[in-house]
Amino acid sequence: MARGTERPLASPSSQNRERVLPVSPNIQIYSPQLTSVLSFTHRVTGVLLSLAAVGLVAWLIAGAVGPDAYAAVQGAISTWIGQIVLFVFTFAFFMHLCGGVRHLVWDTVHAFELRQVYLGGWLAVAASIVLTIITWVVAYS
Amino acid sequence: MIIESSEQVPRTRLFKRFPVPKNFGLAPQSRIQQGKRWPAPAGARRIKAFEVYRYDPETGENPRLDTFEVDLDQCGPMVLDALIWIKNNVDPTLAFRRSCREGICGSCAMNMDGTNWLACTRHISDLGDPGRIYPLASRTIIKDLVPDVTHLYAQYHMIEPWLKTKTTEPNVERRQSPEERHELNGYYECILCFCCTSACPSHWWNSDRFLGPAALLQAWRWITDSRDEATEERLDNLEDPFRLYRCHTILNCTRTCPKGLNPAKAIAEIKKRMFERRS
Repeated sequence: MARGTERPLASPSSQNRERVLPVSPNIQIYSPQLTSVLSFTHRVTGVLLSLAAVGLVAWLIAGAVGPDAYAAVQGAISTWIGQIVLFVFTFAFFMHLCGGVRHLVWDTVHAFELRQVYLGGWLAVAASIVLTIITWVVAYS
Repeated sequence: MIIESSEQVPRTRLFKRFPVPKNFGLAPQSRIQQGKRWPAPAGARRIKAFEVYRYDPETGENPRLDTFEVDLDQCGPMVLDALIWIKNNVDPTLAFRRSCREGICGSCAMNMDGTNWLACTRHISDLGDPGRIYPLASRTIIKDLVPDVTHLYAQYHMIEPWLKTKTTEPNVERRQSPEERHELNGYYECILCFCCTSACPSHWWNSDRFLGPAALLQAWRWITDSRDEATEERLDNLEDPFRLYRCHTILNCTRTCPKGLNPAKAIAEIKKRMFERRS
């Protein structure tokens, strides 16, 4: 974050010769809009997916090691906290996927009008929720 | 919910600000404290309260938030009219920049109710109660609502916003077809108010090295100008991990532009041109 710069003031008073000027607030007062909130969500889901990748590798290694290790990991996943974590990871996956599609479209210099940005943004949110629910319904059917 | 143009103010807002503490991450000299309350004059019927960011360089105390009650029957419809009324009738020490009062000079750019806009074109009725008026975000403050924009102008200067040619000057103007002139539409209208740059979170975190949407929009204006002959040099100037590529298409800039311009699109065009010249 930008910090106040060391700047001597114009008036020659000896007291304020080395005054450090304040910096105006940014995230503390700026309104959360779909643009910035979805961008922040894209980054947060990316970090969550990095953690999920580690979990995925742990699960695969447990499967490769043997039936005892695999049963232990499956037991951890089937606890209620394991299920919540899995649900969060699924939602993060789909949010990041839909956000990623928006970014790929922007890279081709399309859909930059505000109407298209907002339509695409809400569509991405709705699609992530729907895809997460479908995945979980199919997984448990 | 679906915003069609940047002048739309959202009807309802779930969150007025991000859920962070009020003085989150601010340096000690920037932390905002409670200020004075200036009540409306007696006999005022339509009153609106404004919370205005104040800083007095003479005393050097921390910035504060003063609450002014404005008589709406005595002042014009725009936020700038309210500020001028406050300065004329309540507190003459309130400092803010203003000039044209019609949304073309860019002097009165400030943050109203959380979004950057020009005070002279923002209706008072579009603000909540109380209306929150802050200076442009993440800028060093000289006094009250007057930010120091020297750094922003320096970043604008860095992209060399003038025609650079190698061929000799013709006797008449440098010719340009209507289609080539049409390429500049949407970019030449920038009034350099810097609403976009001070709305960009990437510029908040990297203001020293990331050029910001205003400078980059102008960079594209000169890259796409058919009369300019230094396109390769301009693109070379942006070959840097920070100058151009800190843009992550957050799109706060396009959302907040008071002239309805699209800096994010200009930056995407620059990135596409940078990619095309490598292949």
